[in-house]
Amino acid sequence: MAAEARVRVWDGPVRIVHWLIALAVPALWWTGEHDQLDWHRRIGYGVLGLLLFRLIWGFVGGSTARFAGFIRGPRTVAGYASRLFRGEKAAVVGHNPMGGWSVAALLALVLAEVGLGLFAVDVDGLEPGPLSRFVDFDAGRAAAQWHAWVFYAFLAMIGLHLAAIVFYAAVKRDNLVGPMLTGRRTAVEGAAPMAAAPLWRALVAAAVATALAVWIARGLR
Amino acid sequence: MKRISLWISAGLIIAATAGAVAAADMASVIHARQAHYKEIGKATKGLSEALNSPSPQLPAIQAYARQIDQLAPQIPSWFPAGSGPEAGVKTGAKPDIWAKSAEFKAAAAAFTTEAHRLDQVAAAGDLNAVRAEFPALGKACKTCHESFRQKD
Repeated sequence: MAAEARVRVWDGPVRIVHWLIALAVPALWWTGEHDQLDWHRRIGYGVLGLLLFRLIWGFVGGSTARFAGFIRGPRTVAGYASRLFRGEKAAVVGHNPMGGWSVAALLALVLAEVGLGLFAVDVDGLEPGPLSRFVDFDAGRAAAQWHAWVFYAFLAMIGLHLAAIVFYAAVKRDNLVGPMLTGRRTAVEGAAPMAAAPLWRALVAAAVATALAVWIARGLR
Repeated sequence: MKRISLWISAGLIIAATAGAVAAADMASVIHARQAHYKEIGKATKGLSEALNSPSPQLPAIQAYARQIDQLAPQIPSWFPAGSGPEAGVKTGAKPDIWAKSAEFKAAAAAFTTEAHRLDQVAAAGDLNAVRAEFPALGKACKTCHESFRQKD
């Protein structure tokens, strides 16, 4: 059998953002649990920048990075779900209709975590988030509580994400991890490969995201 | 016989009422304590934010420091015997506050010392000195909390 054709599926920015957030999450958990709030904040600001970049990239990035491409309607999702347990692979290069929503949920949870963390205040009032000055002590404490609770929802979603990867490998014989590392996957019949975005757009998006993140981390000043 | 049971009933009712009153008292003691600590928390939050600001407002910093200095010496009085977890009200106060009373009072006194120092430094108007002193206050908070407050 000839080597299967491989096509591009994830552009560099998508992969870099994915793996940096994957590394940051355990670091944020550890620093949060062990009162290393200086590092928790620094890493959190990094994730804020990555998240802002990813949100911009969802509008101007490569075709598989764009929300408009992977957020599908309920009928498409239901149709895909009804065939989920068949061995067939999804006829798409990029997120399948369910995976798109999974990614949207993961991004929304990161957004909620970062957003709550910005306003959070510790019980002693010694480690306020950069935007805590816009809320009173009680609201800051509530933000910190929700910051802790939403993390569990995020963990559950990560669990589902990992379970889906195992499911696709075992049932659908589709390796999802390799393509997230290399950016390439086996070609899918009848599905167009990724259309890349030019590098300059990534640079502009990164500059805008960095500037925004720094501004927010400094308490909007 | 009837008489005796009447007396016993009366005694039980009085005892139960007294117990309920004591419990209600302890609940209000605990809630007042939490409100006081929250005032300190608000002031430290205000101080932290003011010191993070590019243009710190000295009068606000002085007011917060004064407030903490005034509250700190009261701390031991917020912990009368019976106001621990045994009161049946949700509280982070550990029984060691009363079991190791001397240690607790020493930790509270250390906080009072730092609070007073911060107040004096703030009153003197030297922002850099306030910045240098503030971590010591935070450390005094944490030292006491590590031993005597339940982690939530």
